[in-house]
Amino acid sequence: MGFGLDEIHDLISGPTQTGSSSFTALLELPQPQAVELLVNEDFPSNHLPPPIFPSNNGLIDRATKFSVFASSHNSPESNAILSISSPMKPDVVKQEPLGSDSHPKSSSPTVSNQSLKSGKRKEKERKVKESNKKSKKLVADGGEKLPYVHVRARRGQATDSHSLAERARREKINARMKLLQELVPGCNKISGTATVLEEIINHVEALQRQVEFLSMRLAAVNPRTDFNFDALLAAESGLSIDNGYMGMFSPSILPEGQINGSRQVQYQQLWHSNELHQPVWAREENNPNFITPGNSLLSYGSSANSGKSTVQ
Amino acid sequence: MKARMQNSSSSALLKQEFLKKWINGLQTYTNTKKEMTILDRKNAIKLSADIAIASTRNFSTNWSRAVMADVSKNVDGSSKIVTEKILGRKETCIIKCSKNIMRKSRLLAHRKRAIRRTIGRTSVKAASAIAKELVKKRTRVLKRLVPGGKQMNEICLIKETLDYIASLQVQVDVMRNIANAADQCLDSTERSLL
Repeated sequence: MGFGLDEIHDLISGPTQTGSSSFTALLELPQPQAVELLVNEDFPSNHLPPPIFPSNNGLIDRATKFSVFASSHNSPESNAILSISSPMKPDVVKQEPLGSDSHPKSSSPTVSNQSLKSGKRKEKERKVKESNKKSKKLVADGGEKLPYVHVRARRGQATDSHSLAERARREKINARMKLLQELVPGCNKISGTATVLEEIINHVEALQRQVEFLSMRLAAVNPRTDFNFDALLAAESGLSIDNGYMGMFSPSILPEGQINGSRQVQYQQLWHSNELHQPVWAREENNPNFITPGNSLLSYGSSANSGKSTVQ
Repeated sequence: MKARMQNSSSSALLKQEFLKKWINGLQTYTNTKKEMTILDRKNAIKLSADIAIASTRNFSTNWSRAVMADVSKNVDGSSKIVTEKILGRKETCIIKCSKNIMRKSRLLAHRKRAIRRTIGRTSVKAASAIAKELVKKRTRVLKRLVPGGKQMNEICLIKETLDYIASLQVQVDVMRNIANAADQCLDSTERSLL
């Protein structure tokens, strides 16, 4: 029977062998016996219990051909190791000791993996490259990840630390994508990350554009009206916020006839957008595009301004 | 349903907070005597709105910190005043520190990315590869859109996008309501004049 493995960067030593391979192994310096493992064989479909890495002469042959780090390690059998430096993984070399060279070549019992040899060469190549990328990523992240994640591999899936890490990451991303889908309108029916991302991008762009337009619109508005801050502050519920915007603006046409004590108080707590516009009125002749109602309200404006003189 | 109602009440609180801060920031402009063009006004409004919405997050998110870092980059006086008004003195100092931190992390991220690029890439042209390319392209665009997105990994990016979209929505809603109310008021005054 052949135990195959995907590219594994695992440390297995007897005492530390757990039910599922953990990618914490990556982060630890390997113990002297355990050496980094990079075996590229296909993993049989239902291998849940701790992976055992048989040493394999055939493997070693393949490894030499592809010149990757390939060592098989099998703690229960405690077989010898052979590792060959790989030009593709310079960084990983740092983490794992190169002392494996000192270990004698294994003359351990061979496993009947040789049948897998021929067909798996290409996959092995691809996986090697993939694993390089993954291992690099994990190495780069190693310093940041403090809590170790212990993941149990599911049925029908590889249990090497690389795939586990990748899978955990992918699951995180997918969970968050789902939340995003709910937030962005119209994304619920779409399937596929690329299209969802496109929708999200469109939505963000649209919102940003809206902010631009609204601020332009507000800048163009000539609020010759007074803004009642008190009403805003008093508003508790959301409903009153939405409906209460109108209440905040008291038309400036009123002040002439109706200035009484309470109104005076209100006016004194106003948002003086008028101040913002006063300088512009001075340039009204030069700015024909300006909103004309402002001109007609000038007379009222002066009285309103006098009411707010204390705040000015 | 419950979640929706909770969402709406919490968003109402957010709207209130945003509005208060925004108006607070805008009030700084009432004291300036210089003439403002319409573009200046628009920039002032937008700036106050951005600072306000970023501060409603209490700077627990990356994007809000990035927004403030960008704002404080423009050493122009008005933005500083607005920031101080909305946040208070202590936080403006914190913002300046975070600006340096972000600059350093940007350099680090640059170096990391340079290293990663030197690794060989697969040239398999399968449908899945094309899909992955598309996804990569779009994450790059998204990184450009979300403030501070360039330094985030994918997981953070999606989380920040979530938050950013929600905050943008709040901002747009409040601004739209104010603009509508102002327009309505204007219309009513116009009508009463006629």
